Amino acid sequence: MEPLQPLQEFLPQVWFFILGLFLFFYVLLDGFDLGVGILSLTASNEERRSILMTSLGNVWDANETWLILMGGSLFGAFPLAYATILHALYIPAVIMVVGLILRAVSFEFRENAENKFIWNVTFGVGSFVAALGQGFALGSVFEGITVDEAGHFAGGIWDWLTWRTILVALTLIQGYVLIGSTYLILKTTGELQATHYKTATIATWTTLIGAVFITVSTPVLSEQAREHLFSQSLIYVFETIPLGGILLVYLLLRSLRNREEVTPIVWTFLLFSLSFVGLGLIIFPNIIPPSITIYQAAAAPSSLVFMLTFIGFLIPIVLAYNIYNYVVFRGKIVAEQLAE
Amino acid sequence: MDILTNSLALSRLQFAFTAIFHMLWPVLTTGMAIYLVIVEGLWLKTKNITFYHHARFWSKLYVLNFGIGVATGLPMAFQFGLNWAPFSEAVGDFFGTVLGFEGTMAFMLEASFLGIMLFGWERVPPLVHWLSTFLVAIGANLSTFWILSANSWLQTPSGGEFVNGKFVVQNYFAAIGSPFMVNSFLHMFFATLETSLFVIGGISAWCIFKERNREFFAQSLKIVLSLIIIVAPLQIFIGHLSAEQVYHYQPTKLAAMEAQWETIPAGNSPGWSVIALPNDRLEKNDWEIKVPGVLSYLLELKPRLENPVKGLKDWQSKDRPHMIGLVYYSFRVMIAIGVYFAALMAVSLFAWVRGKLTESKWLMRGWIFAAPLGYIAVEAGWIVRCVGRQPWLVYGQIRTADAASNLPPGEILFSLGGLALMYFIFFGVTLFFGSRIILKGPDQELQPPQFGKIRFIPDRRPAEII
Repeated sequence: MEPLQPLQEFLPQVWFFILGLFLFFYVLLDGFDLGVGILSLTASNEERRSILMTSLGNVWDANETWLILMGGSLFGAFPLAYATILHALYIPAVIMVVGLILRAVSFEFRENAENKFIWNVTFGVGSFVAALGQGFALGSVFEGITVDEAGHFAGGIWDWLTWRTILVALTLIQGYVLIGSTYLILKTTGELQATHYKTATIATWTTLIGAVFITVSTPVLSEQAREHLFSQSLIYVFETIPLGGILLVYLLLRSLRNREEVTPIVWTFLLFSLSFVGLGLIIFPNIIPPSITIYQAAAAPSSLVFMLTFIGFLIPIVLAYNIYNYVVFRGKIVAEQLAE
Repeated sequence: MDILTNSLALSRLQFAFTAIFHMLWPVLTTGMAIYLVIVEGLWLKTKNITFYHHARFWSKLYVLNFGIGVATGLPMAFQFGLNWAPFSEAVGDFFGTVLGFEGTMAFMLEASFLGIMLFGWERVPPLVHWLSTFLVAIGANLSTFWILSANSWLQTPSGGEFVNGKFVVQNYFAAIGSPFMVNSFLHMFFATLETSLFVIGGISAWCIFKERNREFFAQSLKIVLSLIIIVAPLQIFIGHLSAEQVYHYQPTKLAAMEAQWETIPAGNSPGWSVIALPNDRLEKNDWEIKVPGVLSYLLELKPRLENPVKGLKDWQSKDRPHMIGLVYYSFRVMIAIGVYFAALMAVSLFAWVRGKLTESKWLMRGWIFAAPLGYIAVEAGWIVRCVGRQPWLVYGQIRTADAASNLPPGEILFSLGGLALMYFIFFGVTLFFGSRIILKGPDQELQPPQFGKIRFIPDRRPAEII
């Protein structure tokens, strides 16, 4: 391979980072969104379900839009990755889309319906199915996608279904439940809040167990992942991740025990960030593991520059008005106001 | 059946079905957002509470449509990769860039301010609320812009060249502003506006007809009519410009739109076919009825053709569109609806000037009849645009047949079947809930929002919906 020009190396790296950022916002924000949806399956009465859905009313659409941003930008920045990954993950992607569709329509349909049962089910099950599809997709990307030398998908239609992708999917669902629970701790009061201190505690442990299994099995199973992670430059970064993780889990459990309201979601966000950095380090510089790098899959440098000019300067603006939306709707959701 | 084992045909069917169904929702919300900006603006300016009631009532129908628009848009965002991987890889440098722009500039803006627009009445000052509604409208119409820019590029690719089947961009602005872009965007912008206005007008006319909240709906009908006076004629004019461009840039599509099999040499004054029965196998129309001498006026505004109109037989069968009847009739249906809209506007304007707009039952029936027509015209237009473009996905460059992923048919049947089942249910449910909202009518007792008095009220949906 010829040595790459600095710009040809730098631009794909920048876009890898931006796409990671979009995916990160998606996982955090739609994560609590989907988590609340999954938790709604356990809600004991209609009033509680109303509060759960009200807590998402103004944000679910924007949260989901991060996925569209990620999809569109992946298409533009790494066309080959967009094409090959979606081709390979046809079934999990369709499962995810079907789930997201079901939950998206549930908001308005439930609002208008007298018999809310159907739309409670579509909301809860849709959220669960969407998370499941995402888990399978994420798991498959880490497992590696079989491609030919041109980078086109060359695997089978059931490649996405292995015991490891099932493990990743289940863990991701636990993670979403955790983040959803901490969001509900922030947004609710009384008995409902008490319930979600419990679900948050349980989900912390189940997420932890899943994460440990995934972490342990990753370097063991994948030769390439091991080589990459234990190379000189990365080993120090990678070593600090489990340590930081243990500290954050301790802080999270302590904040839940002390019935704190704001800190649980903060620690959970940080825990997710840490895992995200870890996963990013495992993948980099590949974009279609195990063999296609960001440099091979990238669009022409002029495309990357053009996109960077417009999308790059919009990112802070997009973040600003998203934050504004949360600020406008700050505060607790209380049942009495709902009944008004 | 062959189609069940043909993954190319299934992928096309899935794209057509999901696109046609998806279009039904944003076409209303995009145009209706502009109407909401106007009525909310009128409320702020005149302090007349009725306008506030208009904003609240119509936004209920708006949000019912919005959720499904978002939901059915998701498959559109991923389908290029899912079913059309070779296409995505070949044109991603440009096409993906545009979709990325759409997400960042349009969707996010719309989605974020939607929350404030729907639930923020008492949480932000009235002017900030109006601004949120305005930004939702801007977001929606920006996505019209980017989608039409992307699609126009498929019709008239520009701004670069194809090297070994891969599109290499040389000038991004030229690619974004491909020859079709301006007229196509304007045509679609006015299409969403016109469709929504006739939906609002049709519902208003039905309520007037049934003597439900007569004054309230007479007011919305008048707002609609004032806008239609400009929109309906302008849309016909832009439609005409678009057809002229097709004549210039896409001769195979024009031949299909006119079911023209033989080339008409320059200097002739051919008739315009009104009804025909195209026969793809025999490569002729089994019969047709023509209005003599009109086609050259339609295409060139001249009594005689300056350029020849090429016939379908000029191309080999593999290089021209098929399903000629579909393209031919879709085009005529769209024109007929556009003309009906303009005529209805003219008759209504005449009645309004005489102060009798809401009195004629027949006129109200004409408006009720018009309510679903905009949707039909929009879908018909897109059928002309995209079926008429075949066999090309990127006109003259990439064939649809070469652009599809090599997927097992079972996979596509799984997704298509699942989506189709859900979509038909949603369609029925939306009509049911929509008609209930209309039957319930506006809440004219609703007090204006009390911003500032209750500073830190908890989250809640608008009281009237609960």
